[in-house]
Amino acid sequence: MQVNSETILKVNALTKSVQLEDKSLSLLQPTELTVNAGETLAIVGSSGSGKTTLLSILAGLDLPSSGEVYLKNHPLHQLNEEQRSQVRAQHVGFIFQQFLLVNSLTALENVMLPAELANTENAVERGKALLEQVGLGDRMEHYPSQLSGGEQQRVAIARAFITEPDILFADEPTGNLDTKTGLTVTDLLFALNEKTGTTLVLVTHDPKLAARCQRQVEMDSGVLTEARSDSDFVDRSAINVANMG
Amino acid sequence: MMTAKNTIWIKQSLRLLDHELRRGELTIIFLAIVLAVATVFSLTGFSGQIKHAIVANSTNTIAADRVFSGNRPIDDKFIEKAKSLDLAVAQKVSTDSMVFHGDNMILSELDAVSENYPLRGELTIKRSINGDEEVVGGPKRGELWVERSLLSRLGVEIGDIVEIGVAPFSIAGVLVNVPDRSYRFLVAGPSIIMHVDDLAKTELIQPGSRLSHGYLFAGEQDNVEEYEEWVKPQVNDTQRWYDAKRAQNRLSTTLDSAERFLSLASMLGIVLAAVAVAVASRRYGQRHQSVVAVFRALGATISHVRNLYCLHWTLLSVISIAVGLLLGYLLLLIGANAIESYLSLDNTPLTIVPFITAIITGLICAVAFAIHPIKDLIQTSPLSVIRGFSVTKLPKFGSHQLIPLIALFALLLMFSGDIIMSISLLAGGILVSALLLTIGRLVMSAGRSVGTKAGKSWHLALANLKRRASENSVQLVSFTIAIKLLLLITVMKTSIIDEWQSQFPDDTPNQYLVNITEEQIAPLQAFTEEYDIPHRGFYPVYRGRLTAINGEQTIRVRRDETEEEVSQDKQEEKSEQESEGRRGMGRELGLTWRNDVPYQNKIIEGSWWQAEDKTPQVSIESGVAERLAIKLGDELAFDIGGRTFTVSVTSIREVDWKTRQLNFIMVFNQAVFADFPSTSISAWKVAPEKKDAFYNLIAQYPTISMIDFDAIMKQLNEMIEQVTIAIELILVLVVLAGSLVLVAQVQASMEERERELAILRTLGAKGSLLRNSVLFEFIALGAIAGFMASVGMEIGVFILQTQTFEMEPTFHFSYWLVGILSGAAFVGTIGMLSCWRLLNLTSVTLIRRTM
Repeated sequence: MQVNSETILKVNALTKSVQLEDKSLSLLQPTELTVNAGETLAIVGSSGSGKTTLLSILAGLDLPSSGEVYLKNHPLHQLNEEQRSQVRAQHVGFIFQQFLLVNSLTALENVMLPAELANTENAVERGKALLEQVGLGDRMEHYPSQLSGGEQQRVAIARAFITEPDILFADEPTGNLDTKTGLTVTDLLFALNEKTGTTLVLVTHDPKLAARCQRQVEMDSGVLTEARSDSDFVDRSAINVANMG
Repeated sequence: MMTAKNTIWIKQSLRLLDHELRRGELTIIFLAIVLAVATVFSLTGFSGQIKHAIVANSTNTIAADRVFSGNRPIDDKFIEKAKSLDLAVAQKVSTDSMVFHGDNMILSELDAVSENYPLRGELTIKRSINGDEEVVGGPKRGELWVERSLLSRLGVEIGDIVEIGVAPFSIAGVLVNVPDRSYRFLVAGPSIIMHVDDLAKTELIQPGSRLSHGYLFAGEQDNVEEYEEWVKPQVNDTQRWYDAKRAQNRLSTTLDSAERFLSLASMLGIVLAAVAVAVASRRYGQRHQSVVAVFRALGATISHVRNLYCLHWTLLSVISIAVGLLLGYLLLLIGANAIESYLSLDNTPLTIVPFITAIITGLICAVAFAIHPIKDLIQTSPLSVIRGFSVTKLPKFGSHQLIPLIALFALLLMFSGDIIMSISLLAGGILVSALLLTIGRLVMSAGRSVGTKAGKSWHLALANLKRRASENSVQLVSFTIAIKLLLLITVMKTSIIDEWQSQFPDDTPNQYLVNITEEQIAPLQAFTEEYDIPHRGFYPVYRGRLTAINGEQTIRVRRDETEEEVSQDKQEEKSEQESEGRRGMGRELGLTWRNDVPYQNKIIEGSWWQAEDKTPQVSIESGVAERLAIKLGDELAFDIGGRTFTVSVTSIREVDWKTRQLNFIMVFNQAVFADFPSTSISAWKVAPEKKDAFYNLIAQYPTISMIDFDAIMKQLNEMIEQVTIAIELILVLVVLAGSLVLVAQVQASMEERERELAILRTLGAKGSLLRNSVLFEFIALGAIAGFMASVGMEIGVFILQTQTFEMEPTFHFSYWLVGILSGAAFVGTIGMLSCWRLLNLTSVTLIRRTM
C-alpha cells in the first residue's frame, strides 16, 4: 500500500441544504473528511443518503451551503464555476455510472478528451496505450453505440486515467453492468489505480466493491461516519441491504 | 503552448462536426437550411434575371425617346413639327393578323415598321438559326423578321414564303432582341415585323380594322422636350404619349407583383424549414446536454464550450448555406433553360441581391430558430453528470418564441417589402394556424374516443396521436395547407374550367371572324347555311368616340403618360378638377347597327326601332347608361374618324356579357351609318367535324382574322398548366419542408417511443401490433390533414365558383377521397421510414437500450 501522508482532499464542517418552496431540506449534516494522496476511499450508503451529493461537492461540481473543501489545497468552496473547471481539468478524473461517453466521438477520441482539455502532450499516443491496457486496442475507431456496456465503461476508465489525475472520483462505476462484467471493470479500475498511484474516491452501494477500498465511510441521512474496519462494514452493510430488501 | 490550448476547441469542434455530419445527426438541420436557401436563391435570382432581361437590360423599352400612339394615323402637322425640330420620326403600325403557310395558320402580332426603326436601342436578328446575331433596322419590303417560336408553330423555316393577308412574304430572319418588345407574345401569338409600306398590299387595313398607329420620336433632349410641350395639350383621350420610364414602370410593376406573389407563396415552405430547424435544434440541444456536461465536468470552461458550439453551428450554417446556394444555382439554370425559347437569360448577369437574400434567409433559419436551444445547451451544468439530465418542458408561450417571431417577421418583410402586408400575414398566419390547430385537436380527440372501441393497434395509435397532439400540430397545419393547395390546383385544372365551359349552350360561338368586308359577307353566309353553322349574323363595326351628352362635352381624361404613376383615384380626381364637362367613356368604342334586338339582350327601358325608321337612334347598355347617367331621350354625339353626328337614346338594354356572344355597348339603327364604310365581325359555332371545311374557307379570305376561342382556351389551359408548374414546384418545397418537420418531430420523440415500445414488448405485445400502431398513428395524422385540407379546398372552390366564375357551386367529393388517401399514404410512408430503425430493433436491444 502506497499511502502518502500528503493530504489531497480536506473537508471542514461541510453542509448542504436545498430550499424546497418554504422549507429548507438538509442533505448533508456538518461533515468532516480528510483523504490522503494515494488512498482509496469508498463512500457507501443507501439511495438518497446523500453520498452522491457529497461526491459532487468533493469533485467541485457543486458548492457546499457552508463549510470548506480543499482539493490539492485549492479552496473549492471559494472558487467560481470557471475556476473549479480549471481545478478539475488539472487534478480530477471521473468515472460515471452512465459511462457518459460522447456518442459522436470514437473510443480513442473520447479517451483523449481530458488530455486535450488539460493540454497534455501526446494525447493520441497515451490514448492508444490506455485503450490497449483496458483491452480495447482493436476497438479504437468504434463509436460508443458499437460497444457493449462493459466496453463503454472500460473506455471511460481509460478516459479517467489519461491525464494521470491526482484524484479520481467514481460514481457507482458498476451500477449499470451485470455482475461478471462489473467484476472485470472493477479489476481493471483497481489495477490501473495501483499502477498510477492515483487517489480514488468511489461512491457505491455495493459492499463487495467498497470492500476493495482501503477505507470506507458510510453515509446515512446526510451523516457521514467512518466504518471501523472492512469486516465490520461488510457485516453492517449486509444487514442494511437485508433490511432494505 | 498557449496557442495550442487556445485552439483545442477548434480541433474538437471540427471533429464533432465531421462525425456528426457523417453519422447523419445534423441531416435535418442541414437539409432544412439547404432547402430554404436554395428556394430563395433560385426564386429571387430567377425573377431578378427575368426582370433584368426584360426591363433593365434593354437600354430603351420604347425604341425611341417618346412615342405617340393612337388608333388612327396622326395629323401631318405632328410630323412636320417634329421634323422642324430636327427629331427623327419612325413609324410602327401594330395589329393582329393571320399568317398562312400551306394548310397551317396562326394568329400573330404584326408590327409594320419604317426602315429607320428603331430610333433607340438595338434590333437584333439571326439570319439562320445557328448564325450570328446581327444589328439591323426594319426589314426590306417583302421580307419578315419573325419570333423564333413562329417557325415551329407554323412549320416553316427561314427562307420560306408565308402569306399575310393577300400578300406573300419571305421569312428573312428570327428576332433576337426587340427594343420595344411588348411581351404580349408570351400570351398572344408570336411577333412578326414587316416593312410599313407592305401593309397596304396585305389588304388588312379596312374600315373598322383594329390598328395601333405608333409614331416614334428621337432627338436632342431640348428639342424633344420642346416638342413634348407642344404635343401634350393636343393629345386626345384615344391617344397615348409616353416615354421609356413610364413604359418601364408599368412592366416592372407587373413583374414585381408576380415575384412578390411567388416569394410569399414560398414563404410557407421557408417558414416550415425554419420550424424543422427549430425542432431539430431542440433535440440537438437535448442530445448534446450530456456532451457539454462531460466536457464541463472534465474541466472545460464555459467559454471553451461556447466557442466549440458556436464554431460547430457556424460551420454547419456555412456548409448548408453554400450547398443551398449551389443547389439554388442549379435550379436557376434549369429554370433559365426551360424558358429559353421565350426569353434568353444568357446575357443577364446575376446580381448580388439573390445571394444576400438567400444568405440572410439561411442565417435567420440557422440562428434565430436555433439560438434558444443552443444557448440552453451551453448553460448545461456539469452537475448533470451526477444528477442526470432534465428535459425542460417549454411553456407554450414565452420569451423563447420572441426571437423566432421577430425572425419570421423579418423574413416576411424581406420578401414582401411591405410592412402592413407583413404584419397582416404574420397575424393571419397565426390565426389560420390556431384555427386549424383547434379543429385538428378536436378531430384527434374525437379519434381517441372512437379509438377506444376500435382494434388494439388503432387504439394505441390514436392514444399516441392525442398524447403527442401539440408536437403533431405543426405537421398537421403544414400538411393541411399543402394538401389543400394541391387539391385546389387539381380541381381548378380538371374540373372548374370544364364545368365553366360546359355550362354554355351548344350554339355558343367558338370562332370569331374579324375584318370581314362587305363583299365577303355573302359567301360566308352561304357557307354557314351549307354547313349548318349556328351564328347570330354579321355585325358591322365602326370605331368611334362618344364626345358629348346633351350638347355637354364629355371630359377628356388626360393620360399624362410622362408623369409619375399616380393612383387611379387621384388621377380621376385631378382630371375632374382640371377639365369641365360630363364623364365620358375615355376610349374608342366599337359601334354597330341592328334592325332587331340583339340575341339575348333585354330592353328594360324604351322600345326598339322599326327597321325602316330613318331618325338616328341608339340603344345603350344599362350598366354604362347608369355609370354615365344617361337617360332615355338624351342626345349623344359621336365622332367617327373626324365625322360627327348626334343621335337620341331610345332604349336601354340589359346585356349578359358572359354569354360569349358578340355584344355592343352602343347599338344604332341602320340609318345612322348609311354612308360610313365598315368591316364586319361574326361569331360562329363550328363543330369539330366541320373545322377542315372552315379552315379552307378562311384560307380563301386571308384578310379575315380568325380568333379561335378553342385555341384561346387551349392556350389558357397551357398557361394555367405553366403557372401550375410554378406553384406546384413551390408546393413540393412546402411538402418537403413539412416532411422535414415530421422527421424532426419523430426523431425528437424517438427516445420516448423506444421506451414505450420496450415496455409494450416486455408486456408481451406482438411485433405486428407495435408496427401497426406506429403506422396507424401516422396514417391517422395524414388522413386528418387530408380531411381538413378537403374541407378547405371545398371552401376555396366555392369562393372561386361563386365569385370569380359566377357559376353554380358544385361539390367535389371524389377529391376529398384523394386528399384523405394521399395525406394518409404520404404521412404514413414518411413516418414509417423515419421509424424504420426503431421498429426493426429486436426486443432485447430495445430493452437493453432503454432500461
